Amino acid sequence: MTSECAVVAAATTVAMNSVGEACTDMKREYDQCFNRWFAEKFLKGDSSGDPCTDLFKRYQQCVQKAIKEKEIPIEGLEFMGHGKEKPENSS
Amino acid sequence: MRPALRGGVSLRRAQGWGKTRAGIGRGAARLGVPRVGPDGACALRRRLGCWGRGRGRCSFCASLSPGAYPDIAQGAGTMKIWTSEHVFDHPWETVTTAAMQKYPNPMNPSVVGVDVLDRHIDPSGKLHSHRLLSTEWGLPSIVKSLIGAARTKTYVQEHSVVDPVEKTMELKSTNISFTNMVSVDERLIYKPHPQDPEKTVLTQEAIITVKGVSLSSYLEGLMASTISSNASKGREAMEWVIHKLNAEIEELTASARGTIRTPMAAAAFAEK
Repeated sequence: MTSECAVVAAATTVAMNSVGEACTDMKREYDQCFNRWFAEKFLKGDSSGDPCTDLFKRYQQCVQKAIKEKEIPIEGLEFMGHGKEKPENSS
Repeated sequence: MRPALRGGVSLRRAQGWGKTRAGIGRGAARLGVPRVGPDGACALRRRLGCWGRGRGRCSFCASLSPGAYPDIAQGAGTMKIWTSEHVFDHPWETVTTAAMQKYPNPMNPSVVGVDVLDRHIDPSGKLHSHRLLSTEWGLPSIVKSLIGAARTKTYVQEHSVVDPVEKTMELKSTNISFTNMVSVDERLIYKPHPQDPEKTVLTQEAIITVKGVSLSSYLEGLMASTISSNASKGREAMEWVIHKLNAEIEELTASARGTIRTPMAAAAFAEK
């Protein structure tokens, strides 16, 4: 019994929360997908086909909502597509 | 009045470091222009003091040329610069994977949330990630009830770039809370060790700007030692994450070889 518990404990690692409480599960799913792809594909030079895009989209929508609600001052970033830099005179 | 510097690399942008939000001000006279003293050493370093500890080295002049950071000479509030180098006895891929999964870890218990704001691969094949880190500093409950529990979190925005071909990972972070008081900008670069590909070199820099108020040298010294100890906690945290990842890999390999029976198999065996 104790060895079983030890194996299970080792397998279920403590994971991080999201800034939005509702987004935590989506975040963890996405993180697992990303970490696997990152270590097994991306670092080995294969950046084709990111399998996590759907998970990421759903997670993103949740996070954006949470950030707006909490009024977190993210700067210089547009969520749609690539991050754009802030114009100099507004910084 | 000297006009604001244009063309300086921006602190708040992905590409570099530069003008701070405090603007140009009193720090200018205090900091002076970095110059080489009669003995050849960097005069600015002597004035600010060397913050490197242990295996790291204070390499202000070695790593930052005056031209790269024109606003340091101008000063903006009070600025402190700290740099350090550290070698991990692990290959670059392991360290980079660990860096992406750095939280949670027992050395940084105050980081309570990590979110990915954006992630994409740029045309040159580098992976850009923009992340938001939420930290909770464990304020006493009476303070929380006064200022509201929702406002006790501080936030840090982080931008990382991973180049799998050149094998570099660069990470820049800046606080987005209390920006009217202090700016803490950090830059970390992970590269394979030039002499030993099984090792990784981490170069760290921190630029702290305090707006308007001039701190006493005691407080400045305190900040210096806090940054130094946080940096070594960060390195410990990386070692912890790497160790955990390696242990997971070993376990998976061993179970794949059938040397460890899974709990289900063991239970099935026991039943028979």
